[in-house]
Amino acid sequence: MKRIQALRAIDMAYADRPLVVTCGATARELASVRKRNNHLYLLDSMGAAGAIGLGLALADRGPLAAIEGDGSLLMGCSVLPSIAYLRPQGFVLIILDNHVHASADSFPSQSERVSLAAMCRGAGIQTLECASDDDLADRLREARRSSGFEPVALVVEIEPGNEPDVALLLDDPVSIKDRFLGAMEAMS
Amino acid sequence: MAERNAFTDAIVEGLLEGGIESFVYVPSSHVAPMIRGLLERGISGHLANREDEAVSIACGMILGGVRTALLLQDNGFGNALTVLTTFASAYHVGLPIVANTRGGLGEYNAMIHTFSEAVPELLRAAGIRVDSLQPSDPQPVWRVTSSAAVKLASDTHRPVVVLADVMHPAGEVMSS
Repeated sequence: MKRIQALRAIDMAYADRPLVVTCGATARELASVRKRNNHLYLLDSMGAAGAIGLGLALADRGPLAAIEGDGSLLMGCSVLPSIAYLRPQGFVLIILDNHVHASADSFPSQSERVSLAAMCRGAGIQTLECASDDDLADRLREARRSSGFEPVALVVEIEPGNEPDVALLLDDPVSIKDRFLGAMEAMS
Repeated sequence: MAERNAFTDAIVEGLLEGGIESFVYVPSSHVAPMIRGLLERGISGHLANREDEAVSIACGMILGGVRTALLLQDNGFGNALTVLTTFASAYHVGLPIVANTRGGLGEYNAMIHTFSEAVPELLRAAGIRVDSLQPSDPQPVWRVTSSAAVKLASDTHRPVVVLADVMHPAGEVMSS
């Protein structure tokens, strides 16, 4: 499936809950699906989405999710043992794996030869996998439900490449944060 | 492991006075007295593996409404600068940070000064507020500075760093 298809399903699954999304094409494409106040778009800080989501979960803001790509997860992969060790409830780490740095001229990422699902399991995180657009909504529901007991990683196989003609995300980061805080306040 | 003394206790008291409810830490033997002090006072501590990861976790907790501090050693700012600037500063997250310093008087590591001595200038060049504490500062100054850093970070919506020289040999003399 294309990234944009995966993001449409994730947007629906977390339409009303906090969602942190990694930078680059992933954030731009998610915003192009629908810009939501409860979605925290990272404009840079590659590798930080999972850890920011972990912090929100430790603050008891779940159910919530964070989206990483394969490249960004590998950049910040020390978060995997931290998720397993700190073990907050209500947190799903969604990993969109296309085996390339799609926002960096599509250089291959190490997930070409390294299994991210195995890394998640090796860290001790309950891990689901999905390779089909048809199954993704069900997998997202399953992950969100299971995260009520312990954190869950969901590794989603996607095609390389970026959606054409997606606008740059040029919002002021403070505006993004303020909208996000307002949305979280409305949830509580 | 470094021993706690009146200076490290003053930092713990200051962070508590500042109202922190939780903290994230990357262990070091010289920041350990503060970590243990906070844990002993019932403040929940969350262990991170790297300083950039720790910044991100702490920022997430603050966005989630928990008054959270970060404790680390100053050489870890090399790992943390990108996320400090592109997330904590750019998104206006009020993150108080206490770091023990290395590389000065009392140092035994032959190379750590090559990074640690540059940390204040590096942070200031990155636009991050820095205050420093030395054993020549009375212990109440350590307490009030730590407390005020928590308040300043929160009130001005930005990371604020307190660099504490806990290795200076004068600290042992002054705290006895």
